[in-house]
Parts: sequence; structure tokens; C-alpha cells
Amino acid sequence: MSKPAVMRHMPQIAHVDVNCFYASAERAFDPSLEGRPVIVLSNNDGCAVTRSPEAKALGIAMGEPWFKLAPRAKQWGLVALSSNYELYGDISARVMELLGRYSAWLEVYSIDEAFLGVKGTPEELLALGRDMKTAVRRNVGVPVCVGIAPTKTLAKLANKWAKNNPGFDGVCHWDSVPAADRETLMRRLSVIEIWGVATRLTKRLNALGVHSILDLSRADPVMIRDRFSVVVMRTVLELQGTPCIPMEEERIGRDQLIFSRSFATPITTAAGIRQVMSVYGQQAAARLAKHGLQAKVLTAFAGTSHFNPKDTSYPSVCIPLPMPTADPVILTKAAHALLPRICEDIRYARAGIMVTDLRPTGNQAPLALFENPHEERHVGTLLEDITRRYGRGSIGLGHGGIRGGPDWTMKRDMLSPRYTTHWDELPLVKAA
Amino acid sequence: MGVVVGPRVIDAGASLLSVLISPVAVAAGYPSPAQDYFDGRIDLNEHLIKDVTSTYVVRVSGDSMEGAGISDGDELIVNRALEPVDGSVVVAVLDGELTIKRLRITGTGIVLQAENPAYPDIRVPSLSDLVVWGVVTRCLHYV
Repeated sequence: MSKPAVMRHMPQIAHVDVNCFYASAERAFDPSLEGRPVIVLSNNDGCAVTRSPEAKALGIAMGEPWFKLAPRAKQWGLVALSSNYELYGDISARVMELLGRYSAWLEVYSIDEAFLGVKGTPEELLALGRDMKTAVRRNVGVPVCVGIAPTKTLAKLANKWAKNNPGFDGVCHWDSVPAADRETLMRRLSVIEIWGVATRLTKRLNALGVHSILDLSRADPVMIRDRFSVVVMRTVLELQGTPCIPMEEERIGRDQLIFSRSFATPITTAAGIRQVMSVYGQQAAARLAKHGLQAKVLTAFAGTSHFNPKDTSYPSVCIPLPMPTADPVILTKAAHALLPRICEDIRYARAGIMVTDLRPTGNQAPLALFENPHEERHVGTLLEDITRRYGRGSIGLGHGGIRGGPDWTMKRDMLSPRYTTHWDELPLVKAA
Repeated sequence: MGVVVGPRVIDAGASLLSVLISPVAVAAGYPSPAQDYFDGRIDLNEHLIKDVTSTYVVRVSGDSMEGAGISDGDELIVNRALEPVDGSVVVAVLDGELTIKRLRITGTGIVLQAENPAYPDIRVPSLSDLVVWGVVTRCLHYV
């Protein structure tokens, strides 16, 4: 990152994420859920993937199967909902577009979290964090917490702190907290609580006497690199305040796949963005096929440059797909829905797509009637083969069509209306 | 990138080409690139939605707002980002339900009015006791 000649303050990173995202999105349109224990279930209504604080207080664990909870649901007043990915995708797109207005540098990290580059005095940063929190709640209707720190890892930690400690009122600026308090927190938290440290790694770190986050932050980065990996060394450096986790171009989360990147040369035309979207559509198709998955919802986004704060544009759109698919033609075509939102002659510095509502391929095969013609002819596999043999960019899709049927094979007995993406399912307001 | 497409690729791509140029796929896709940039017609989104992040469309259920020209089954455009003022038609949360009312901010408190004499006013001590979900900006009324 190049630095301006005169700089009052070092750039910092804000990590923003929505509290209990899926449950909060449901509550935004059904206020009767406010204050009640709410869980959102995984695909096929299998197990709890999101729990409201009230549901956590009941002792419901992450991943607890619904059939075990169902018998007690009534007694608890527990509301269980099927996952409504179209709603979550649209709410996510709104949140990201709004956050883009606060910083010229935005990295959509997952469906419900983003990193933003921010600058200012500690007071200004706190005020900015509170502004973002208020705006997302007011405009979109969901609650967020904000952590601001010199590095991504610390920003995530600050955010977690803000969530769990009501004293912060949802916004924690790491450097504004007394050093002694930060140490106490880092001593109390196990290394497993830190971003990027998994269970297996925790055991190996423990064997070296590294138990708390504080221990890890005091470890020798070179020793960590030699014994573990560059990835873990980066975590150590980040805990010490040196930013070194780069923008990731491809991420696979629990229930989403993200592709995004910054461009070496800004793109200034819809035609250019169209090309980028085509590439991502095909990459997403290849990844989905590799993992044996299909997606039902796609979000496409783009953003302007860090260095050009005058003309900013952060369009983000959510497209429900007509059927679950891993078809590169359909995914590419869907991603092109972003194009009408692209302003010509603005310098876009990054773009990406995210696919959600993932389910195993062939788990519920559509009737032949609804089967996709491209899939049948294995276009995806063919494109992959050619790419593998002749390199990336040797073949690509130009045009494509969407054909599909209804998605009625997935078990979603407790699905709320798709309030924002279907005209027949708009939220009802009582006039009585 | 810069890969020369050899004869074997043409072979392998035969079925792909037939997919891409088949009339069915093209008919459902983009008939002409020009259409993507055609912007001559009025776009209602542009005129009715001031902020895409905060605007939602909702549907009316009931007849309590008839006097404001808002009927059962009409769609409303609601902007959550607007500050409600005296006289605003708002979507408010009442008993856990999204409810549409005329907001009156008076010297003696807040009143939520129906626009139909059959429904009584609802009094609220202050604005902070009221959750306003959004401010109605337009009504899509069926005529």
C-alpha cells in the first residue's frame, strides 16, 4: 500500500459483521420474533446453524439436530426457521453496498462480514464505527458490531469483544482500550478463539506452551514459521500489530463460496466488468463441481478504488437462481445482473461473486423436464478439461441462457416468505 | 492466456459449440449486446427508489388507510432511512406486527392515526416508545 506524503494517522481496519445474521434478517421482517429464541436450520431442516442469543441461553448448541429440539420447541417458545437464502443474500447485498459508502477500500469477506480500510483519530474512528452501526440498523434493519484495529486479526478480535461486552455498545476501537485490559482479554481467551487457528493447530500450539492469545502474540514469529507455517506466522505478526493478511481471492465458508479480486488496472466499462463476471461464473462452477455442490443464490458486487474517493460506486445485487445449479452458463448469466448497476467511466478496482444456498449435487435430482440442458451436455466438465489442458483463459463463455424449473425438492417446511425477491411474497403491513 | 487453439480443441469442443450456438440457448440469452446498454425507457426504479439499501416494498392488508388513498392489497414503497415527521405515513411495529398509520407529533404526545373513522387513534407517550420501521414514500394503488 503506497502512503500519502503527509499522513496524520496510520490506516486501520474495521471489521463489521451482522449479529446472528440469519436470525436477524428474519427478525427485520417479522418483529414478533424480537426477544424470542430463534434458530435457523441448515438445508433440509437438518440442524441449527444460527441461534439468537435467547436460543443460546436455552443451551441450544451450534449444529444441534432439529429432531432433538423439536419435541421441546413449544415448551421453550422456540421458533425454528428453514434457511431463506434469497432473503439473506439480498440483505447481505444491501449491507455491503451501504458499508462501501464509508470507505473506498472494502473487502466482502463472507455473507455477513466485511473488512474496511479506515483512517482518523481514535475519536473519529469510534464515531465512524458508531455511524456504520446506526446506518446498517436503520437502513437495512439488521444489527452489526464493529471492531477497529491496526490489523485484520485484531479487528476481528475487537469485534468479538464488542459483541460479548455490552460496555462497548457494539463498537470497539482496539487502540482506545487500555493496554492492561487488552492483555487481560488476550490472556483469558484460548488461541482457538483467534481467527485462522483451528482445533488441530491448537493442540500443537498447546504442546509448545502456547495456550492463550496473549501467549501466541508473544511468540517468536520465525520460530512459529519454522514449526508451523507462514500462515500462522502471519497471525502472530497481526496480533503484534503488523498488518500482513492479504486480500483473499477465493474463500470457501461453511455455506458459501466467494471469488473476488482487485484489478491491476481499473475497469471503467460495463463490458469489462461483464468479462470479469464471466470468469467468476466459470470459476464458481468449477469449484462447485469439484466439491459436488450446487448453488441456488448468487450475489455479484463491484467496488471503486481506494485511491479515488471522488467517484465511488459499490453496486451489489442478489440473484435467486431458477434452480440449484453448478452450470457455468447459468452462473455467468446470473452474475451479469450486476451490469445495469455499473456506472460507465468510473474506475472499478475490484469485483466479485458469492454463491450461497449450497447443497450436494444429485441429492435431489430434478425431473428430466427441469434438468438443465448445459449440465446434461457436461459443458462445465468440458470447460474444466479444456482449461486444465490448455490453461486458464483458453476457453470461455460468451452467451448463455437460463432455463430451469421450480426448486421444490428441498425440505424447507419452516421457510419464511422471500420478502425482498418475490413480488408474491412481500411483507404484509396491517392496516387495521 | 495467449493459448493457440489447436485442432484437438476443435474436436473436443464440438459439442460445446453446438450448445453455445443452438437456437434455444441464444433465444433465452442475450439476443443482442446492444440491448444491455439500452437505457431510453423510463426506469421506475430510478424514480421510485432513492436508496437501494434502505428501500423495501410491502403489501397492505386491511382498509384502515382508505382516507389516504391506500387500499387493501396495494403495494407501498417504504424508505427506512427517512426521518419520520409529523404527518408521515409510517410502518410502525405495534404488538409485534408491521402496521401502517399516519404519524402525528403533537405537543401532548405521539398519535398514530388511521385514515378511516372505523379505527381509533393510538396514543404513544413519546417517539422513543415507538419503533418506526420505515416511512412510506409511494403507494402503488390498483385502479
